[in-house]
Amino acid sequence: MLAYLQNIAVLFCVNAMLAVTLNFIMGYAGIFSLAHAIFFGVGAYVAANIAMHFSDSLLLCVAGAVLVSGALSMVLALPALRVRGEYFVAASLGLQVIGVTVFSEWKGVTGGLGGLVGIPPPTVFGHALATPGEFLALAVAGLAAVLLITTALLRGSFGRSLMAIRDSESAAQAAGKWVAAIKTLSVAVSAGLAGVAGAIYAFYMSFVNVEGFMLETSILLMAMVIIGGTGTVFGPIIGAALLMLLPAALTYLPFLPPSELGTVQQIVYGAIMVLLMMYRPGGLVGGRRKGGKA
Amino acid sequence: MLFVQLFVNGIQTGALYALIAAGFSLIFGTTRVFHVAHGATFTLAGFVFYELYTALAWAWPLAALGAGVAAAVFGMLVDRYVYSVIQRHEAAFFTVFVASFGLAIVVQNLITIGFGRGLVTVPTPLSKSLELLPGLYVAPMAAVAVLCAAVAFGLLHWLLTHTNLGLALRALGENPDLVRVYGLTPRRLSQYVFLIGSLLAVPAAILTAATSGLNPSMGHHIMLISIAATIVGGVGSLRGAAVAGLLLGMAENLSLAWIDPQWSEAVTFVVLFLFILFRPGGVFGRAVAS
Amino acid sequence: MSAPGHIKGEYRSAKHEGAPVDAYCNGNYDGAPGSAAAPPVLLRMQGLSKRFGGLQAISDVSLDLPAGMITTLVGPNGAGKTTLFNMITGHLTPTAGTVHLHGKPLARLAPWQIARLGVGRTFQDLRLFTHMSVQENVTTVTERGSWLWQRRGDPARIEAVLREAGLWDKRHERAADLAYAERKFLSLARIMACDASLWLLDEPASGLDPRSFERFVALLRSYAARGITICIIEHNLDLVTQLSDRLAFLDQGRLLACGDPAGILKDPQLAAIYFGERA
Repeated sequence: MLAYLQNIAVLFCVNAMLAVTLNFIMGYAGIFSLAHAIFFGVGAYVAANIAMHFSDSLLLCVAGAVLVSGALSMVLALPALRVRGEYFVAASLGLQVIGVTVFSEWKGVTGGLGGLVGIPPPTVFGHALATPGEFLALAVAGLAAVLLITTALLRGSFGRSLMAIRDSESAAQAAGKWVAAIKTLSVAVSAGLAGVAGAIYAFYMSFVNVEGFMLETSILLMAMVIIGGTGTVFGPIIGAALLMLLPAALTYLPFLPPSELGTVQQIVYGAIMVLLMMYRPGGLVGGRRKGGKA
Repeated sequence: MLFVQLFVNGIQTGALYALIAAGFSLIFGTTRVFHVAHGATFTLAGFVFYELYTALAWAWPLAALGAGVAAAVFGMLVDRYVYSVIQRHEAAFFTVFVASFGLAIVVQNLITIGFGRGLVTVPTPLSKSLELLPGLYVAPMAAVAVLCAAVAFGLLHWLLTHTNLGLALRALGENPDLVRVYGLTPRRLSQYVFLIGSLLAVPAAILTAATSGLNPSMGHHIMLISIAATIVGGVGSLRGAAVAGLLLGMAENLSLAWIDPQWSEAVTFVVLFLFILFRPGGVFGRAVAS
Repeated sequence: MSAPGHIKGEYRSAKHEGAPVDAYCNGNYDGAPGSAAAPPVLLRMQGLSKRFGGLQAISDVSLDLPAGMITTLVGPNGAGKTTLFNMITGHLTPTAGTVHLHGKPLARLAPWQIARLGVGRTFQDLRLFTHMSVQENVTTVTERGSWLWQRRGDPARIEAVLREAGLWDKRHERAADLAYAERKFLSLARIMACDASLWLLDEPASGLDPRSFERFVALLRSYAARGITICIIEHNLDLVTQLSDRLAFLDQGRLLACGDPAGILKDPQLAAIYFGERA
C-alpha cells in the first residue's frame, strides 16, 4: 500500500511540475504550446544518456536536461514568436510530431521504439538514490524547486512584463519591453524546467521510451492547466491531481469495461474542457476571469 | 518510374488535402474561429459513411448524403451551441481553440468506443489498382478523387463569386458590419460558413475511407494538415489553402523517394517551419508582422 | 470640401492667408544660431508619407517638435493623426520620409527601442494592462531590460506618480475595475513614471468630466513646466486653447498649418474643415 501511494505521489509531482511549467507560458504569457511533452522527453533522454555514458551525478544530469531542453525551445520560439499566436500553436504541433518521430527513430540516443533501459540511479553527494522514499523526496524537491523558481519570476519584474505583454503587446512595446526576447525567455524557462521533470521521471522509472512523450501527453498537460485554471499558482497543481485521479475514479464505475478506461477518461476531460471554456474560462481555481495574477 | 508513381499518388492525396484545408480555411478566414474540431468533422463523416454503406448496406449516394448531413449538422451545432456561447462573453482566440480541441477529443474517443481503434476501409472495385504503365499503378479512385475535388472547388468558386451568400461570406472576413447589407446577420452567416466548410471535408473523408482507410485518431493528422495548409497558403486565402493542401500532399508523397514513411508527416512540418521562418504570410497572404 | 491643393514650399508663404506658419513647420527651422527664444528641436519629421494599399494615409508631412513645448495635433477624424504617432513610435513603418529624435534617425528601430530612447506614448483606447493592479501597471513601466531579473524602478518615484495622478488609494485595484476617469489617469500615470522626454498623447482627456479635466490639464501643465516635450492629439478645444504652445492642423494626411493656436483657429477655411467635419 505504501509503495502504491509513493508511486502515485512521485508521478503526481512529475505531472504537477509539467503542468506548472506549461502554465508559466500559457497562463501568463498567453503562449499556447502543444509540444510540452517533447521538452519533457528531451530532458528524460538527456539525463538518461548522461547517466549511462558519463556521470550519474544528479546535478550534472539535471543541468544537462535543463540546458538541452531550454536550447531546443529557443529554436522553436525564436522564429515562431515573431508572428501571431496561432503560428506558435501550429509550430509547436509540428515540433511535437517531429519530436515523436525523432524519439522513435534515433536509436543511438533514444533507443528507438524500445527505449532506454537500465538507467542507473542518480547520485547526490556520492550517495546513489535507492529506495522509493528517496525518489519521492527527489520528486517533491523538484516540484518545490519548480514552484519556487516560477513563482519568484512571476511575482517579480519578469512576471509583470509577461502579463503586460499578454494584456496588450503594443502597449508593452511602447513601455520599452523587448517583447520577442521576453517571450522567448519564458518559453526557454518553461522548457528547461520541464526538462527537470523529465530527468526525475527517467531516474525514477529507470526506463524511458517514446510512449510517454506523445501528442496525447501534451494534450493531457494542456487539459490539466486549463481545467485547473490558467494564470493561478494552484490551478495547474489541482488540475494535475484531478486528471491523475480521474482514471482511478473511473475504475469505480461498474459499467465501464476496463479496456475503455483511457478512452472514457479522454471523453471526460475533453467534455470538461469544453464546458469550462463556455462557462468558466478561468478554470476551477481561476473562476470566470481568465488569466489571473501570480 | 518511382517518381511518377509518387507524383500520381501525391496528386490524389493532395486533392483530398486541398478540400479539407479549404474547409478549415473558409471557417477560420471568415469567423476567426480556430476550428480544430474540423478533424473531428472529417472523422465523423468518414465513419458515418462507413457504417451506412458497409454495415447497413445503404446505396452509396444515400450513405454519402448521410455522411454529409452528419458533418454539416455537427459543424453547425458546434458553432451555434458552443462557439457562439463562448464568443458572447470571451472573445479570446485561445478559449475557442481550447473548446474546439476538447470537442475533437470527445468525438474522437466516442468514435473509438463505437468502432474500435483499428483501421476500417470501405471495399470498392474502384480502389483496385491498374498497371497503366510498367511500374505505374493507379486506381480509378485517383481519378475520382481529382474529379471530386475539381467539382467541389468549381461549385465553391461559383458560390463565392455569383451568389449573394458568397459575396457576404467574403465580406464577413473583412468587415462583419457589411454583412447586414446583404440582408444577413453575422450569426446566420457563421452557420452557413460552418455548413459549407464542414461539407467540404465529406468527399475527402469518403474517398479516404475507400483508399487508405479510416481510424478514429486520424482527426489529429487532418487537423495538422488543415492548419499547416492554411498558414502556408496564407491566412484568409481560400485559394492559398487549397493550393497549399495540394502541395503538402505532393510533398508528403514525393519525399518517400528519399526518406522512410514514418518521416513523411514530419515533411509537412518542415515545410510549415520554413514558411513561418521566411514567409509567414504564406504563398498568397499579405506579409504578417506582430 | 477639401482645402486647396498643397505643394510643399507654399506653406512657407502661408497659403491660408493669415494663418501663421511658424518656423517649425515643414523643416523650416534650421537651428539658426542667435535665435535665443527658439528652443532646439527634439523630434524632427521630414517628408513622412504612409500608404496602405490604395490609400494614401499620410502625405509628405514635415513637422518639428521643439523641446519643452506642448504641440497639439488637430484635425478631423481620419486625418491620419494616430497614424503619424504610430510612425514616430515605430508601430508603423513610413512609406517615405524620416523621423529624427535628438538628431538620431529612428528608421528600422523596433517600438521598444524607440520607447527606450525616451519616447512615451498613450493610446486612444488606453490599452491598460487590465489584469494587473494600478500599482503594477506603473511599476512595470519603470522596469526596463529583458533579462529574467530587472531592477525595479524607484518605489518612491512610483508612489509620487500615483499620488500625483490621484490613484494612490486605488493602487491595489485591478486596472479593469477602475472607473473611466481613473483609467485615463492611469494611462497618463504610466507615461509619467517612465523617463520619457517626449510624450505622445492620443486623445488623453476625451470624455472626462469637468473636475477631472481640470486636474488633468494641471497635471500636464506641471510636467510641461519640467521640460517635457508633449504632443497631444485632441478634439477638445478647451484643452487645445488652454494648453497648446503651438498647434498643427492635419487633414486627409496633409499638414495644412502649424504655429500659433489662436491664429490658426481664427482662420475661416481651417475652421470650416475642422468644424464642418465635426458637425
